[in-house]
Amino acid sequence: MKAIRIGLLYLIMTAIAAVFLVPYLFTAFAALKPISQIFTEPAWIPPKSLYLQNFRYDFVDGDFLRYLSNTALVTVALTLGQVVFSILGAYAFARMRFPGRDKLFWVYLMTLMVPNAVTVIPLYAMMRMAHLLNTYWAIFLPYALGAPYTIFLMRQFFRNIPQEVIDAARVDGCSEGRILARIVVPLSRPVIVTATLIAFVFGWNNFLWPLIVTNSQSHYVLTIGLANFQSNMNSQWNYSLAASVITLFPLAIIFAVFQKYIIRSISLTQIR
Amino acid sequence: VTRVVSPATQTRHRPARRKKPSDSVGETSGGHVGQSGLRAFLGALPFLTPSLLGVTVFLVVPVIVLFVISFLNWDLLTPATAAGFENYLNIFRYDGAGHSLGVTFYYVLLNIPLQTVLALGLALLLNSKRKGMGLYRVLYVAPYLSTPVATAVIWYWVFDPKLGAVNALLAHVGITGPQWLSSSAWAMPVVALVNIWQYVGYNMLFFLAGLQAIPRQLYEAADLDGAGKWKQFFRISLPLLNSTTLFVLVTGVIGSFQVFDTLYVLTQGGPGNSTEVLNLRIYQVAFTDFRLGEAAAMSVLLFGVILMFSIGQFLFFKNRVTYEYSA
Repeated sequence: MKAIRIGLLYLIMTAIAAVFLVPYLFTAFAALKPISQIFTEPAWIPPKSLYLQNFRYDFVDGDFLRYLSNTALVTVALTLGQVVFSILGAYAFARMRFPGRDKLFWVYLMTLMVPNAVTVIPLYAMMRMAHLLNTYWAIFLPYALGAPYTIFLMRQFFRNIPQEVIDAARVDGCSEGRILARIVVPLSRPVIVTATLIAFVFGWNNFLWPLIVTNSQSHYVLTIGLANFQSNMNSQWNYSLAASVITLFPLAIIFAVFQKYIIRSISLTQIR
Repeated sequence: VTRVVSPATQTRHRPARRKKPSDSVGETSGGHVGQSGLRAFLGALPFLTPSLLGVTVFLVVPVIVLFVISFLNWDLLTPATAAGFENYLNIFRYDGAGHSLGVTFYYVLLNIPLQTVLALGLALLLNSKRKGMGLYRVLYVAPYLSTPVATAVIWYWVFDPKLGAVNALLAHVGITGPQWLSSSAWAMPVVALVNIWQYVGYNMLFFLAGLQAIPRQLYEAADLDGAGKWKQFFRISLPLLNSTTLFVLVTGVIGSFQVFDTLYVLTQGGPGNSTEVLNLRIYQVAFTDFRLGEAAAMSVLLFGVILMFSIGQFLFFKNRVTYEYSA
């Protein structure tokens, strides 16, 4: 009786997993089929052979090689900046004493209440005034100088490092920069990996902001290219589904490698 | 010399006497405090500058600029002129801000309650020490990290009336499926479904963390008292998940108010204007109509609605009642 119940439980959980994964599977199938096969066969029939022409078309004729490298460039810059500058800021708030520190941190926390959607119009106006529209800078700069949320997460982590360790280093004459680089950062690997993943996924998936600040194909990122593709190609599903695979594939690899950290990052995110 | 000081003179003199040390004697000590404070600040400055610049230029200043633009007529081509409160009236009169606000609420209502209940259900299902739970957990979260534009393209195909898997499946059991995204009745439920699919696993993780924080002894005691599983859920789990539930609900609502990517790909606001949520309408007014003033006024409206929820959440977590368990 108990065995049946447990078996049923696993069956239900597997069925639910299928709901989450089957759309990806069908997409991978379709991306490897010629259009004629997509039109005539149901989505659940696997491709008969490894047909790679859709990808070839996307990369070469659809300019997805450029979009992919644009996304990679912009995302790496965003991630690097956000993580490094958040570490610096979090260290100051967690481990240094200076007048107005707590009030300033309060200001940082208040900015968490400013939603992304609301700053789009003014930021566009500011970028236009700075003559930065249609540049890579415009795409990543607003997120690359540190994020209040990440600073908040890191500050919590940095504060838990024992004071004696840091005092000992100060007595030995270590500069603050050296303490941060040699002691705090190595001890804080989990939160730094987490912050890196959050920034990377955000940068990779970002759509509304790059849509607004770029209007030439040379600066388009994957999400823009894909959305344009989908509306221009209409029912040429082979191309737009292959393009979806191109967009999602790098994330899938990261997900597979860092899944432990990703789950942790989400439990870290909960403000307690 | 005996000095008799009346209370009145004492109080009158006190400020002067307090001032003196810092004026004369304190010249060095007072200056010293200030100097070390300044030195501490200068020491922290290299660490602070980048994020301080970022927060100021990309978060604080834009809020001010947003309000300024909302009082302007500005088409990006000719110089902006003052509009007073005109934009705030016009967005309701001509730009359908009221309609879009209603559509946004409708979307939130379709999306959030169902999503929260499902997330809690999944968490209950996975909240055990059995083998393979970690794998299921990871699989359920996969859509959350996927690019919304890409998953929207996929679902657009899955819900395609002629070629999509959904209607093909329905045809197998003899049902002619609806037009889904081209039907004004079905479009929004489909969009909500896609978003639930994308975010339910993410919210499940919060419930899972909440459930795992509840001490096992509470359930053991309830077992001894003969309370059934359902009773245990309603009397122990649900009340102790209170703050988790609120967190999931409010962050979900705040996120849903800003929905854009999925709708941009799936419906573009259509059919008609049946799925024209506020954030999509802001984009259209600003970047297809080039009326930045009206778009900014709508953004202020969106900001106001979201702010009510985030302030509410902030106040709740500030005075949060914690149910501590003591052995």
